Amino acid sequence: MATEESPQVTRRATRSYSASNTAIESANPPESYKPTINDLGFRQQPLRLEDLLSSFPGRRSQILELLRLLGPLNSPMFPILVYGGPSTGKTSVTLQVFRHLNRPFIYSSCITCYSPRILFESILNQLLFHRKDSGHSYSSVKRCERPSDFVNYLREALENVITNLKGNSGKVSSKMSGRPDGTMVYLVFDNLERVRDWDKSSTILPFLFNLNDILKMPEVGLIFISNTSPDTYYLNIGYVEPIPLYFPDYTEDDLRHIFMANQTNSRLYASFLDVVLRPFCRVTRQVDELAAAFSSLFKKYSEPLSDKEVAPNEEMKRRLFSHIRPHISSALNETFQVRSQPLLKAEPNQETKKTTGSRMPGIREDFDKIDFHMSTSAKYLLISAFLASRNPATLDASLFDSTGVSDSRKRKRKASEKSMDQKEMAEQELLMKGPGTFPLERLLAIFQCITSLAEDSLDEEESHELTVEGGSGGLMSDVLLQLSSLCNANFIIKGGSCPLEGSTRYRTAVSEDLALKVARSLKFPLSKYLYRR
Amino acid sequence: MGREKEKEKLSEKALNLLRSRLSDPNFIFRPLSDSPDSNYSKLKFIISTSVTEACNNSILLLGPRGSGKVAVLELVLSDLLQQYPEAISVIRLNGLLHSDDNCALKEIARQLCMEHQLLFSKVASFDDNSQFMIAMLRECGLAHKTIIFVLDEFDFFAQGKQRLLYSLLDAMQSVNSQAVVIGVSCRLDVDQLLEKRVRSRFSHRKLLFLSPSKEDTERFMEHILSLPMDSSLPHNYAAEFNGRLKKILSDERFKELIDTYLSFNFTIGHLVRFLFQAVSYMDLNAGFLSLGNFKTALSSNQRQPKLECIRDCSILELYMMVCMKRLEVKEQTSYNFYSVMTEYKSIHDSFQTSDYYAANVCLRAFEHLLQCQLISFIDNKGHNQSVEFRPVKLLISSGELHQGLKSYQQCPAILLKLMDR
Repeated sequence: MATEESPQVTRRATRSYSASNTAIESANPPESYKPTINDLGFRQQPLRLEDLLSSFPGRRSQILELLRLLGPLNSPMFPILVYGGPSTGKTSVTLQVFRHLNRPFIYSSCITCYSPRILFESILNQLLFHRKDSGHSYSSVKRCERPSDFVNYLREALENVITNLKGNSGKVSSKMSGRPDGTMVYLVFDNLERVRDWDKSSTILPFLFNLNDILKMPEVGLIFISNTSPDTYYLNIGYVEPIPLYFPDYTEDDLRHIFMANQTNSRLYASFLDVVLRPFCRVTRQVDELAAAFSSLFKKYSEPLSDKEVAPNEEMKRRLFSHIRPHISSALNETFQVRSQPLLKAEPNQETKKTTGSRMPGIREDFDKIDFHMSTSAKYLLISAFLASRNPATLDASLFDSTGVSDSRKRKRKASEKSMDQKEMAEQELLMKGPGTFPLERLLAIFQCITSLAEDSLDEEESHELTVEGGSGGLMSDVLLQLSSLCNANFIIKGGSCPLEGSTRYRTAVSEDLALKVARSLKFPLSKYLYRR
Repeated sequence: MGREKEKEKLSEKALNLLRSRLSDPNFIFRPLSDSPDSNYSKLKFIISTSVTEACNNSILLLGPRGSGKVAVLELVLSDLLQQYPEAISVIRLNGLLHSDDNCALKEIARQLCMEHQLLFSKVASFDDNSQFMIAMLRECGLAHKTIIFVLDEFDFFAQGKQRLLYSLLDAMQSVNSQAVVIGVSCRLDVDQLLEKRVRSRFSHRKLLFLSPSKEDTERFMEHILSLPMDSSLPHNYAAEFNGRLKKILSDERFKELIDTYLSFNFTIGHLVRFLFQAVSYMDLNAGFLSLGNFKTALSSNQRQPKLECIRDCSILELYMMVCMKRLEVKEQTSYNFYSVMTEYKSIHDSFQTSDYYAANVCLRAFEHLLQCQLISFIDNKGHNQSVEFRPVKLLISSGELHQGLKSYQQCPAILLKLMDR
């Protein structure tokens, strides 16, 4: 883990700097600081090749190939596409290779630069040594939205930089002055796969891939970094592909090397890895996910030890193994909770994909209780929303008649082959369709039914009343408030309004498990009301 | 030790020379243009006659990407600019950048202003710019100066209303002007895209750029890869380098290798890219190209990205894909996460596999598959629907999946069995 991330931490802040310079860095020099040409390289001591290779276990051949393709000093290059799965070290390796070579480069990530304009302006800002600050109210150096303007500005800026570099190359040995070497300027585009989701992707992608031909400047090298393989960039205009450079996922041995680095008690950690690495590798081989899971597991693993520095012997290993075993199986089923639970955590997680926004994240399956607080009426509301989107609206009357549950449909019939088939088809269809939508009125009606039911049962047990009271005006406003907070928490999704009725329709994405858990906490017989085909 | 260093420096120099040659289109296309029936000579003849005889002309250069259309055109233009430095001005547009009419006219006005040392106004409207262009065409016609419009990615200009093309070609018809419009495109049917009013004003002269013949390819490779004898490189080094190169080029295995490569990438651009890769792999200590370099370059070009993706998958992800495959075999046309999960559960129930994980872990694996594009959503509709419910499809065939599973080292035997059933 440490090897994977540490180079980026020590990095001069190119990552955040390139993020269109919005991040305010505490380590920054005071405002009078003007970026110069030296900022195009790493401002740190160049890395030796041996250090570079040893800091990335399992990446030796990729580093050497990248160095070969970049070539010796001042030699032109063809565009390169670096690709491989997430967390395989593409970005880190590329950046550290530039640190090793000490050549000028410009890094921009298509995650932080999320639109063509921001991408273009971020590149120009870096090339023209412009830093956003309060002096010019955080504006970019040039305003440019169209690729055509960008090319003109870019050519101008690059010519300046290159003559600047050429003028300097003759002078003092650059190693001393912290100046980048050579007269080539490299443009690095990270997370290129994001561009596919942009509005104008059909023009921006071909533009980026053809940038080399458009610029016709041999002093400019282009490097694209992408999560997905080159064949996922479907362009109908075609292009001479960049040279592919593939980063495969780490193997189990590589992972062991990565996790063993920077451990204080390496013998103990090695025995820990012996136990956990193999089962986890069957689920995922991504370093970031594994690291999140391992850090907490290792704490549990070393819990019984009083002295954390001791090297474990065979007997102790066995003892620790039997201690950790139940934790492994539960951890396997909830790996990487951090990312999939952004809504229940206070801080918003930027890393989550767009799609997670519309999905109820996996709630921790903590056996019988739910691990977040919810008021009773909100729970009832959630259950009624769940029922409303699961059950067909036509059945409401029979399910919620005055006596409660109707037993008429429970009549047993011998199922023929055909009806079984039909049933299967219907089930598949239900799975495909997902939860249905419902209007607000239906939700409130069901809510009233089940709360009155619950009140009855409560009345029988003890005379205490629930906070909700059927039919009163106070209830309605309270419920509506609860509904909107449930909407905000993404338990209930507000759908588009129905064109005929004009009212908003809702849908819930709560899984059945969660709904059952909520019902259990209220002692509500949910399964009786669920319509099953 | 010193000798070693010296040698490395030498080979680095040679490598640098080769790399800059490969990225210099002028150097690459010069030797292919001597013969009288080459595209170079034809194009040069057409343009130079319209310059000398002061007439309007239009021409299309067609051919696949990387066949050297622009490079040959640039060669011709640079030669003509030397020949008639006063009588030509070149305006270059690119369809990727200037497909919008407004933007294109602005760029024309900008380049015309640059050329003639006039002040360019950024705020000029479409009408202003188009009137300026017509005026400039007339002025240049009177001064016997030819304006050459190079429209790269010509098919992009044929989108939309084609106002730019119309106004350009119309100006050439009516005014006493002197201009050449050169369209460059990789679409062979580009003249079919033009509107009638534009097509009738366009001369249908086309130049086709084809892939080089076998002899040309060989000549071409020798031309690019052999070192010059009269440069700063020592004579005996260059001689040895060229000698070894000749040996490689005449090697049967090498010819086979080039044939395999050219059978699926046949343009000069692809060949140049291939040579660039091979040259980059040159061993600096040895200082000479070897057959192995070309082999590595070929193998790095013959990738099977989908199989690589499968090799990167975890075992759980393989299970998910096999489940989808099984659903397809059962002729269930569309499926989503939940239907895959039922299949996964039924597999687990009947075979008691050791890999049975909770739904949220599976969902993450599912998302990873989506991310590396082994599966994708069937339609773009239903953005408000959550991931689990949107129908997906597999993007690999069952043969590929089978091959991938076989080459996967720790693939559980049960998966292969499940695939067959």
